[in-house]
Amino acid sequence: MIQVNHLSFRYTKKPFIQDMNFSVAEGEIFGFLGPSGAGKSTLQKILLGMLPNYQGSAMVNGRECKNHGSDFYESIGVDFEYSTLYEKLTAKENLQFFSSLYKRQTRAILELLASVGLENDADKRVSDYSKGMKSRLNFVKALLHDPELLFLDEPTSGLDPTNSRLMKDLILAEKRRGKTILLTTHNMQDAAELCDRVAFIVGGTIFALDSPHNLIMSKGAAQVTYTWLDHGEQTASCPMDKLSEDTRLHMLIAENRLQSIHSSEPTLNDIFMEITGRTLV
Amino acid sequence: MKAIRLSFFHMLKLVRQDRMLLAAGLAPLLAGTAIHFGVPFAEKIRIRFTGLPAILSPYYGLFDVFFSSITPAMFCFIAAMVMLEERDDHIDRYLSVTGLGRNGYIVSRIGFPALAAFGVTAMLLPVFHLTPLSVGAILFLSLTGSLQGVILSLLIVTISSNKLEGMAVTKLASLMMLGAVIPYFVPAPFSFVCSFLPSFWMGKAMMEGTLLYLLPSLAAEGGWIAVLWNPLCKACR
Repeated sequence: MIQVNHLSFRYTKKPFIQDMNFSVAEGEIFGFLGPSGAGKSTLQKILLGMLPNYQGSAMVNGRECKNHGSDFYESIGVDFEYSTLYEKLTAKENLQFFSSLYKRQTRAILELLASVGLENDADKRVSDYSKGMKSRLNFVKALLHDPELLFLDEPTSGLDPTNSRLMKDLILAEKRRGKTILLTTHNMQDAAELCDRVAFIVGGTIFALDSPHNLIMSKGAAQVTYTWLDHGEQTASCPMDKLSEDTRLHMLIAENRLQSIHSSEPTLNDIFMEITGRTLV
Repeated sequence: MKAIRLSFFHMLKLVRQDRMLLAAGLAPLLAGTAIHFGVPFAEKIRIRFTGLPAILSPYYGLFDVFFSSITPAMFCFIAAMVMLEERDDHIDRYLSVTGLGRNGYIVSRIGFPALAAFGVTAMLLPVFHLTPLSVGAILFLSLTGSLQGVILSLLIVTISSNKLEGMAVTKLASLMMLGAVIPYFVPAPFSFVCSFLPSFWMGKAMMEGTLLYLLPSLAAEGGWIAVLWNPLCKACR
C-alpha cells in the first residue's frame, strides 16, 4: 500500500528527513511515534502529496506522491489532529458538502453519524459541539468516501478517557473492515494498543521499526517484584526469566509468606527512550 | 470539474450566511447607481449654481474604469475573506486532500469568482457606464478588471494570516486601482513609473481611446499573478 525508499526532504539547507525506508502492507495499522518536531507531520504531508520537493521515492497506492493525479485522494481519508470543519454549518451540512467532492459512491451520512453517536446532533451547528464530538465528526468525515487508506494524526489527542476509548474502537473497527491505517502519535499507549508495527522517528530518522510486542521483548525480560514481612516489609526483584533461580522466592511461596507479587514489563516509552535517548513528549 | 463547481456554490452558501460579505456582493450595484446617476447629477447641479465649465465630465472615462474595477474587487475580496476563514478553521488544508485537491480549491476560490466578476462586470458596465463604450471596450475593461481582482485576492490571501489582517491588506491593495488616475494627471514619461499597475493601462486606454493597451495591461497582470502564485501555493499547503 505504501512503499518509501531512500526518502529525504529539506525545508532549508539542513535535511529534515533523511534516507527513510519503510513499507506498509494492506490492512495494517502502522504507527509513527516521535516527539514534536521529529518529522512525523512532514512525512505525512509527503505521503499526502502536499510536499512534492522530496528526494527518493514515496509510493502510495502504486503512485509516486509527487506526481499524483486528480483522483489520488479518492482512496485516501485524512483526519488531521485539529478540527477541519465549518463551524457555522451543522454536522450534516458539513458531511454533505465534503461527500460531494468525491466521484465515488459515498457512505450514508446518517449511518456514519450514528456510528459515532452523533445521530441526534446531526442538525446542530458544529460551533456548539464539544471537543469530543468534533473529534468524532472529524473522524467520520475521513470515512465519507470509504477510502482504502486512512491517515490519522493524533486521533486521541486531548480527548477524555471515554472518548479516547471510543475513538480507538472506531479505528479498530475500520481495521476489521480491511482499511490500511497510518497513525501519527506521541501517545505510546495508543500505539501499543492499536498498531501492528511502529516506527520510532527522531530528527527525521527512523531509529527502530517493528511490532510493539517485539520492540518491548527485544529489550530484556520483565521484572517480577515481590514483598514479604520480615521485621517490617521487605521488597525484592528478579528478572522473569531467572525466576526458577530465585531460592528466596521459592522459599516464600512454600511458606506462604508472600505479601504481594507483580510483574512489570518495559513500556514502549521505555524502549523509545532507550533506543533514541529521547522522551516522547 | 464537478467538485470545483460544488465548492464554488458552497462558497456562495457561506457568503449568504455572512451579512458583511453579502453587503460587499451588492456594493457594485450601489456603486454603479451612484456613479451613473449621482456623478452627472452632481456635475449638473454644480454648473447650475457656479456657472463654471464642466470639471467632471472630461473624466467620465475614469469613472467607468473605476466601476469596472470595483465589481471584481468586491467579488474577489469576498472570496479571499472566505479563504481566510477557511484557513482559520484549517479547512483549506483539508480540502487540498479531498477529491477537490489544492488546484481545484484555488480555482473554485479565485478562478470562478474572477470569472463571475467578469460576467457581472460585462453585464453591469453597459447599464452604469458614463461614456459611450464599444463591445470591445466593455470586454477589455471587464477582463482587465477581473484579473486585477485576482491580484487583489492573491495579495490578501498571501499576505494576511486572518480575516482582520485581510481587511487591512484589502484597503492597502485596493490602492492599486488608483493607477488609472495617473495617465489623466501625470504627463509622460513620468506617468510610466506606474506602468507596473494594470489600472494604469486601463486609464490610459480610456483616456486615449485605444484598446491596444490591453496587451501591456495583461502583461502587467500576468507578472503580478506569476509573482504571487508560489506564495499562494505555499499558503494553501
